Amino acid sequence: MNLRTRGALDRVFTVLAGLSVVLLTLVLIGVLGPMVYRGSGAVLFGGTVEFRKMQRDLFKRGGSEALDAEIAQTEEARREVYSLIDTFRKGIDIEAISDAARRINRDFGEELRFKGVATERYTELRQRSRDIRDQLEAAFASQDINEIRTDLESVLQSADDPAFKGTGAEGYFKLAKDFLNAAEQVDLSKHHEYKASLQEVEGILFGSTERPGLLGPRPGGPLPPLAMLHYGATRWDQARQLLHQFKYRQFWVEAEPNAPLVRREEPRAALFAGTSLEPLFGYIQANAEKMLHPRFTVYWQYFLDDNVDSHYFGGVGPEIIGTLLITVLGMAFVVPLGVIAAAYLVECTADNWVMRIIRMSINTLAGVPSIVFGLFGLAFFILFLFPRLGFEPKPCILGASMTLAVLTLPVMIRASEEAIRMVPQSFKEGSLALGASKFRTFVTVTFPAALPGILTGMILSLSRIAGETAPILFTGAVWIGPMAKSVFEPTRTLSRGSYGIAVEDRLAMMVPHNQYGMVVTLILLILVLNAMAIVLRSRVFKKLKGQ
Amino acid sequence: MSSLMTPPSDPPPVETQYLASPPTEDRGKATVPRPGSKMDIMATAQNRKATKPLETVPAGEQAIIRSERFSLYYGAKAGVKNITMDILPHMVTAIIGPSGCGKSTFLRSINRMNDLIPHVRAEGRLAVDGQDVYDKRTNLVNLRQQVGMVFQKPNPFPKSIFDNIAYGPRLQGVRNKGQLQHVVEQSLKAAAIWDEVKDDLKKSALALSGGQQQRLCIARALATRPRVLLMDEPCSALDPIATGRIEDLMEQLKTTYTIVIVTHNMQQAARVSERTAFFYMGELIEYDRTAKIFRNPGKKETEDYVTGRFG
Repeated sequence: MNLRTRGALDRVFTVLAGLSVVLLTLVLIGVLGPMVYRGSGAVLFGGTVEFRKMQRDLFKRGGSEALDAEIAQTEEARREVYSLIDTFRKGIDIEAISDAARRINRDFGEELRFKGVATERYTELRQRSRDIRDQLEAAFASQDINEIRTDLESVLQSADDPAFKGTGAEGYFKLAKDFLNAAEQVDLSKHHEYKASLQEVEGILFGSTERPGLLGPRPGGPLPPLAMLHYGATRWDQARQLLHQFKYRQFWVEAEPNAPLVRREEPRAALFAGTSLEPLFGYIQANAEKMLHPRFTVYWQYFLDDNVDSHYFGGVGPEIIGTLLITVLGMAFVVPLGVIAAAYLVECTADNWVMRIIRMSINTLAGVPSIVFGLFGLAFFILFLFPRLGFEPKPCILGASMTLAVLTLPVMIRASEEAIRMVPQSFKEGSLALGASKFRTFVTVTFPAALPGILTGMILSLSRIAGETAPILFTGAVWIGPMAKSVFEPTRTLSRGSYGIAVEDRLAMMVPHNQYGMVVTLILLILVLNAMAIVLRSRVFKKLKGQ
Repeated sequence: MSSLMTPPSDPPPVETQYLASPPTEDRGKATVPRPGSKMDIMATAQNRKATKPLETVPAGEQAIIRSERFSLYYGAKAGVKNITMDILPHMVTAIIGPSGCGKSTFLRSINRMNDLIPHVRAEGRLAVDGQDVYDKRTNLVNLRQQVGMVFQKPNPFPKSIFDNIAYGPRLQGVRNKGQLQHVVEQSLKAAAIWDEVKDDLKKSALALSGGQQQRLCIARALATRPRVLLMDEPCSALDPIATGRIEDLMEQLKTTYTIVIVTHNMQQAARVSERTAFFYMGELIEYDRTAKIFRNPGKKETEDYVTGRFG
């Protein structure tokens, strides 16, 4: 009975242990899997012609005749879009066409004066021009199609007048014809709604001052100031989102009183039913691929490129270099310090109350929140120490790596201390008995024998140094800025970048692949560094074991 | 110093005589019908000595290790008290005694390995080659190179065989590759392990068997060309075959070196040593020729111990 209970308990423990291992694995896969999947989107995606244009312009990469031909092809496909929109605009954008009419009037007057027309003739022509302008404006402002017809017909009667032939006043008649064409097809009472809807459509297609559109700004027009707005959807997934937004208008409605708003979608084409713009919707859905030429792209330069416009375009090259710099420098501080401190604690001190307090302090330090180390680094290294050493007291790589070294020192000391303590006393005695000094014994016998354990401490420190954000927030990491030229300048790092791209910039919300890409790059970097350290450790271990 | 490595020009007759005597005949004599373990041990010792001249030390030879009223305290507790004994060169001196009797402490006092323990204090005088060990001016490095040590558990460093042996010479500042090679070869030959390892000196010493490791440690101690070799129960972690090899090795080495061995194994003490010291409760009870200690001890405690009545 007793034996059976014990057996049952054993099995229960085995099952529980197995379950916890499985759970851990699942959690790991559940957390890392989606992250890696989404992060891989920064490197592997369907790149459109806009992406290739952007690479050519901003990164001087891949410009060729083939690309020029491709751009020409896509522009060809897009021309229809431009003309459909222009035609529609002429019918509904009252302010624009009224402006145009006024401008024609003004220019016509200038023209007459430049030609040196006689005063009486000049006054007469000016009066007629003003009349035409007023008639046009009346027609544009009117919502009655019959009134419009009458007005415009009276304007068009002057079209054959030789006084206006070959002058700027011909613009009046073009305006009148275009407006008449458009007005025949639209519900004139909905002018304002059309105008707002058209603006939305244009925002989605050509971009606004806030966000890029599907096709990018219209060729020939003024370029917006930000480079990110110079291009359309560079990625096919972005393009598909924009196409969806283009096809469906989203709005929020109160489903019932006092309930949260719900999002509804309606086909945008319905807004333009019966107008000259209606064919645009079908055209864009059918020809999106012709206009953008999506192609599977491996953007491996993501790991080398600098970014453009707060990570809207480009990669994480400077962040990787910054992280490596800080990590290497931090390790250069923490490893010798940690090993020497551990050696001192093990070899040179007795186990008295002073040592117990020192040990306890080290253990406590390991649990201090990292932001506290960040503030300490700012206060001590940068504001106190640097001016006294003759350095400029500003956040820099040196300050950041020193702060991180202090942060990981407890881990390093603890791991090294354990490793050094584990070296058999007989090794040390053997060396001492041959006449070696204590120092020599440590360097030539104890340290090599403790190396695997010390390397474990290094792996732990390394992961922390490469991944910490809070300690370097004030001491040397920046979110945007130029590449550091020396260790006395701040740098961008992957950890600080991940934080910045997640919370500090609204733009970044539009590029989730770059947000995840940065985090996954950080994970990969730490993984690679750790793998290298683990291989090194197993080699050292094998050598020690004599295999 | 280099002359120490080569055996004396006229080899003492001891070894040849010992080897010449047919061992089967000795063993036969050893099992005479007197009962008790005391007899066996004594018989072994007796037989050995019977084939040798009793006086193994040339007349007038100076003691190499001289201890006068030497005491060592751990804090208030005495490890060894009032030890006065002379250890003669080119001999194997065994120190026996029950656990905690201070025999290891005394051995480790000779090359000051006890310094590692905190609150250690020495009194009296202990001299190696006329040089006071506990003098403040004593150069520990020189002392420990004069007095090599072999430990209970084989403790080769986790390095290659070559680097293990070359460790001592390198400490002495030998950097010349050819010179190191020569010393390594000589030491490994002297420790009778050269033939087993000569082909892979680059191999890690930890890959060797326990017996080989112990002989390697002996070779390592020999590489600094010491005058005295201290052995702290060198065979207690080894099987009988490996033990036999180490004992043979000691037989060869004593022509060049002075060996002091601490052992729990009384048969071993009887087999390998010329002199035996019996320690009890931190004091030296009796120190005499091995044959006398085992056959006819002068003190009651010694007799009790060697007959197996306690300990």
